[in-house]
This record gives sequence, C-alpha cells and structure tokens, in this order.
Amino acid sequence: MRAGLIASLTGHVAICIWALVGLPAVEGFETKPVESLPVDLVPIGEFTQLNKGEKTAELKEKPSESTSKETKNTKAEPDKAPGESKVELPTPPTPRPTNQAVKAPEPTAAPPPAPTPPEPTPPKPEPPKPAETPPPPTPAPEKPKVAEAKPVEEAPKAEPFEPVKVTPKSKPTPPKPVKPTQTAQAQPTKEQDFNPNQISALLNKVDPSGGGSAANKESASLGSKNGNNNVKMTVSELDALRGQISRCWNPPSGAVGAEDLKVRLQFNLNETGEVQGMPKILNSSGNPSFRAASDSAIRAVMRCAPYSLPVDKYDAWKEVIINFDPREMLGG
Amino acid sequence: MNEIAQTTMAAQHGDVSFIGLFLQAHFVVKLVMIGLLASSVWTWAIIVDKTLLYTRTKRQMSRFETVFWSGQSLEELYKTLSNRANHSMAALFVAAMREWKRSHEGARPALHSLQQRIDRVMDVTIQRESERLESQLLVLATVGAAAPFIGLFGTVWGIMTAFQAIAQSENTSLAVVAPGIAEALFATAIGLVAAIPAVIAYNKLQTDAGKLASRMEGFADEFSAILSRQIDERM
Repeated sequence: MRAGLIASLTGHVAICIWALVGLPAVEGFETKPVESLPVDLVPIGEFTQLNKGEKTAELKEKPSESTSKETKNTKAEPDKAPGESKVELPTPPTPRPTNQAVKAPEPTAAPPPAPTPPEPTPPKPEPPKPAETPPPPTPAPEKPKVAEAKPVEEAPKAEPFEPVKVTPKSKPTPPKPVKPTQTAQAQPTKEQDFNPNQISALLNKVDPSGGGSAANKESASLGSKNGNNNVKMTVSELDALRGQISRCWNPPSGAVGAEDLKVRLQFNLNETGEVQGMPKILNSSGNPSFRAASDSAIRAVMRCAPYSLPVDKYDAWKEVIINFDPREMLGG
Repeated sequence: MNEIAQTTMAAQHGDVSFIGLFLQAHFVVKLVMIGLLASSVWTWAIIVDKTLLYTRTKRQMSRFETVFWSGQSLEELYKTLSNRANHSMAALFVAAMREWKRSHEGARPALHSLQQRIDRVMDVTIQRESERLESQLLVLATVGAAAPFIGLFGTVWGIMTAFQAIAQSENTSLAVVAPGIAEALFATAIGLVAAIPAVIAYNKLQTDAGKLASRMEGFADEFSAILSRQIDERM
C-alpha cells in the first residue's frame, strides 16, 4: 500500500508542477468597449405623407418643394411678383373700382372683372356726395341705376385691399347687404355714417383672387390634389381603415374570374366616421358576378359604418376611395 | 476609491492559471478542491497498489501451479510451504493439507467426513483471499460515483459567489463574469479528473479480482477431487 501511495503522490505532484510550469499562462480577458449605434425613431408619417401635386404626374425622386408651408405669412412680400415669391401667398384681392354704391342692388353691375377703374361704367354720378346726402329713399328697385355709380375715390391699383381691417363698425349692416335688393337701398338713408367703402368690404367676404400662381414654378409632382401638409394620413392609418372595412366584407366566393371582380368604391365620411350618402362604384366589369361583388363591397362599407379615424386628419379621409380586391382578401 | 478597488479586483480576476484559480476560490470551493485532489491521490494509490498485487498474485499462482503439477510429492511441498506466510493458491493448498494431516493424527483416522471439512476449509480460504484482493476497490467505486457531484457542488458554490461579486460590481461584461465562472468550473474539472480513472480502474480491477477468484476456485475443485480419491482409497 505504501508503494502505491508514494507512487500516486509523486505522480500528482509531477502533474501539478507540469501544469504550473509547462502550460502557457493564460492571458487575462480583455473586453473592448462596444460602440453604440445611434438609432433615431422616425414617425412613418414623414415618409408616407403626401405632398401637394398632381395625381397624374410622374413619380419623382424628390417631390417638388412644398408650396403651402407658410400660408399664414401673407404679408411677407406682397410686392413681389406672385410667381417669384418663395412662399405661396394668398393672392391679393384684385384692386377694383370702388363704385361701392352699386353693391347688391344690381347684381349684373356688381361683378367688377375689369381692374381698370378709370372708366367707371355708370353714366353719371347724380348724387355727388352720397355720404352727406344719401339718395332719397325711393324704394323703386330700378333705383340702383341712379344711385349706383359713385366713383368717389378711385382705388389706386397698387394698394392691396386688406379685408381684415374693414370690419364694419355699424352693427346693422353685416347681414343686410347680401340680402335681397329691395332692402338694400333703404339702408343708406337711415345710416348717418353711411360709408360705401365699408359696405363693399362686407360684400367682399371672399377676396377675389387674381391669376396668381403657386410659388413653385416646377411642375407639380405626384401627390394629393389639395395637398394640405398639415394633414398627414399615414399608410398605417389608411391600412387601419382598410382593415376595419375588410372585417365586415364577405367577398363573393366561388365566382368565376375573381380577378375581374375588383371593385373601386368612393364614399364620403363625416367627422364621426359615418358614411354619408351611398358609396359610388367607380369601375365596371363585364363579369356577371360584378354586381354581386360591388353589392358586397357597398354592404361592407355601410355595415362597419362608424369608422374610428383620427379626427384631426378629417381632411384626409373625408373622401375615401378603396379597392376591394377579392384576390387579396382570399389570399390569392 | 471604488475605481481602484475595481481595478485591483479585475487584475486579481484576470489570473486564470491553475494556481491563480485555486487561490482566488472561495473557502468552501478550496475545501472541495483539496478533498478532490486528496481522493485522486488515494485513488491512484489504490490503483497502483492493486495492479501490483494482482500481477504478483498471478505470477505466484502460475509458479505454484507449475510446482504442484510437476509430480513433486504433496508432503514435501507442504513441508516447504507450511512454515511461511502464503497467499492465494499456496494458502489454499496449505489449509487443505493441514486439515488432511490433522485428520490422520489420531490412532484412527477420521475419514468419514473429511471430504466436507476440506471443502469447507478451502471455501473459507478462497473467501479470505478474494476479500484481500478486492479490498479497497469500493473506495474506487465511491470516488468514481461521488467525485463529479462534489466537483459540481464546488462549481455551484463558486458560481454563486461569482454572481454575488458581479452584482456588487454592477458590471456584466465578460471580463468580470468569466474568471469567476472559470474558477468555479475548475472544481468540476478536478472532480472529473478524480472520477474518471477511478471508474475505469474499478471496473478493470473488479474483473481481474473475479478472474483470480475463479482461478482459485478451479484449483480448489481439482485439489478436492485428488484428496477425495485418496480418502476413498483409504476407506
């Protein structure tokens, strides 16, 4: 036994010494610092939002510069030529002759397309100063002819009309002028401070726009027609709408030639997501089952009616066109 | 200051040589390692001892058999063997002959159940001899079975302490984790180093012992047959 023990001990000691001396020393582990990658989270809307453009235009790598970014900055450079300013300005109202007295009474005379005021159409101003001496309150409807022409001050061409400032001080006026012609003449007689300018301002709720073009001279790129950049209907939201509809859709199964049964529906939604009116079928097909397919599509749209969509983007989904393709639905 | 402690710890942990691993280990893991090392030493001592014993026994058996079957007188052989310590076959022969002699000592030899007595004596001797051959083989079996578990225990303990150290340093980079785990695994390695030879040697030695025992039994049967013939002739 002793021999075995001695032999075993010597063997172990020898192996241990060999392990300590003979084996190469292991290097310590070194860890290199891992570089961190910067990651940006970008909303998908930035890529899927539509720019103003034409639906028929060619797809370009880079959309034409957005034109409607700074519409509020109306006064930016009013004297620049409209085509050259960077931002799109609401075209200033075309200056027109302030033959205000005409106002409502004579609609035929009212349209002032001719921007050349020097020649007021009316023949002769009979009442030279309508402010002090308003025309007699003869209620004849033909009266306007007499009272109409009042080229009091010719508005100079250059002066841009500022609709904001002309809110009338006298309260009774606002709704009246728009109204039927008969009452219109009676008005000035009562009003002490009758000011034809103001009345005309009231009438011109909408600035007539000249032929200003959009600021960008490039041809329009692919995009939606109204191109409101503030409304970003992203692809995922459109898909959500599509998903809501397809849940209710029973595609016509078993029909022959299902590839012809693509139905293109257009319908309007109101702000609560309800369908307004009847959906309109935009395409047609010779397939005898097309009728059934389009009916099923319409039924699907009506059935799922209140759609939950982001209200703040109502502009984008006010009018929806959706393709109902049975192949996609059936996983073909 | 904390930084300094960390760097020194890291430097300490960087040493993954065997002695470094042992020195860094937790107290319990150290104990486990030492125990496993000792059992390995003991295992190898037994292996060496038994191997030597078996070869010696085999040689003795062969020599005895040649002498026994050489036609030499059994009385003379008994005389030469009886006054020294014998093992295996020689011990069998001496035990049987002693019983034979005793039975013939009296005025009337007690031959009636001599045969059974001789068989029994030889059985007892075989048992004693094989016990001597197989002694301590159980140690090998135990080491072979238990050493991996002991090593595993050391590993688990070491990994536990390593994780505690990681939790304290609040850093999970490989440089912090690796040395602790390497150190812990070292215990399992030692356990396996002790267990594998033990298991192999146990199986080998067990078979060898069995072979030797059956060889002795064969001799006992033959010798018993010879004696039985003699007894019957004298009756």
